Amino acid sequence: MKDQRSYFETADFQSALPYQFLAGAVGLCLVFIEVGMAQMPVFYGASPLLSWIFVYYIRLYHVSLLPVGTVFLIGLIGDLLLSDVLGGRATAMILAIYVTDARRARLEQYDFGSLWFDFVIFTAGILIFQLFFFSIINLAIPSLSAILFQLGVTIILFPISFFLITLSHRLLQRLGLAS
Amino acid sequence: MRVSDKAKVRQRRITHGLLVLFSFSLMFLGKADIAALQKIRTGSSGFLAPIVDVISAPIRGIETMIEGMRTVASLRAENVRLQGENELLKRWKRRAEILENENRQLRSVTGAINAKNRVPITARAVTAPGGAFAHTVLLQHGRDAGIERGNPVVTADGLVGITIEVGVSYSRILMVTDINARIPVILATSSWPGLTVGKNGAYLELQFLPDEASPKIGDLVLTSGHGGVLPSGIPVGRVDSIENGTILVKPAVDLRNIGYVSIMTGGLDGIDTKKLSLEKFYTPLPVGDGVRLLEGLNSAGKRQ
Repeated sequence: MKDQRSYFETADFQSALPYQFLAGAVGLCLVFIEVGMAQMPVFYGASPLLSWIFVYYIRLYHVSLLPVGTVFLIGLIGDLLLSDVLGGRATAMILAIYVTDARRARLEQYDFGSLWFDFVIFTAGILIFQLFFFSIINLAIPSLSAILFQLGVTIILFPISFFLITLSHRLLQRLGLAS
Repeated sequence: MRVSDKAKVRQRRITHGLLVLFSFSLMFLGKADIAALQKIRTGSSGFLAPIVDVISAPIRGIETMIEGMRTVASLRAENVRLQGENELLKRWKRRAEILENENRQLRSVTGAINAKNRVPITARAVTAPGGAFAHTVLLQHGRDAGIERGNPVVTADGLVGITIEVGVSYSRILMVTDINARIPVILATSSWPGLTVGKNGAYLELQFLPDEASPKIGDLVLTSGHGGVLPSGIPVGRVDSIENGTILVKPAVDLRNIGYVSIMTGGLDGIDTKKLSLEKFYTPLPVGDGVRLLEGLNSAGKRQ
């Protein structure tokens, strides 16, 4: 007779693919939420980069969950829905995560304040990169106030989002769905 | 590190390098107006729009709730304001009737040709501009409702933009505030022509206005109808500030709060909307050649 305990044991996912798929889906959902938030007059023309906050957190603490290809896809869909330059955000995000990856060992030792400051630098870098190529391609400089507002809102929302992501992660750990 | 591990790392680095290269080249290819890329973009927008619509429904709900609470709080003041506005509108209606009659009589005298009637289609905005680099909006109708590229999009207050991508059931509009939007306009008070240029911000810049034109703050800016794509007389905005020769126009429509819009279909006969190239319509003549600096097609489609 087969041991009945085996039926109630948690499934052992050897492959990281289901988790990667889940992380990718959350990232994409955040892009759609960004688009949705733009319908609120306060965020008109400059909704916070929620997907970037998520990518930054996951690449810092759970790098295997979010491959570069998924980051590219998240950035590209953001470009399709929100940007004029197709691939602008995607390229900026990929380059930013390469730099983050190179500094991960040091970043993991940082306290929250330093991490926040680091995030500010990276987010500003992404927006400056987009602004630079947008200006070259369109031969025009867009309104800087909207870009600064987007940067400011993203920076302000970083601690809240960070807390929520950490909370969700701990919840998943308790349920035995995350390591 | 084993040899196989080294090979894997090398392979990954090459893949990542190619991905960056592809992403980088996409930025320039996207602007090159390549038909295949445009089709992919339009198709994917059509695919993503319903998902965005579903996900942003709760956000719209929250926004409606906040708006409702704000309205209830100011109900009394709003009522007084509306009564005053109603009185004013009644006076304007009487004035409009008189002017309409006068206009009809003048048209019959001068033999002016009425512009072709356009059929308005009401559509719901699925998205709103969320990025600082583009002011475009996805609408719920596309080719299935007879929408074509180049159709003007308006609300009761004035011009919102123009359709630039048309899919089967979704279309994308370029708003007047987008950096790529150039609208031929006239000043309502003096009829001097100019061009409004978007800045990806809240205001438009009025450019190419002749020196003789002396715009004043509050002057109404209307579409001129030059080029034949947009009909004339649609309010674009009002002059908001004039500083160091820079004239800023505040859009007539509150673009932050767009729910439903009207797309004015038709009226593009004689214009190849797939190839809206400048050369086909206007040929620059040598300076000092004569009275006109440009030749082109008039509103009846004849070369002049």
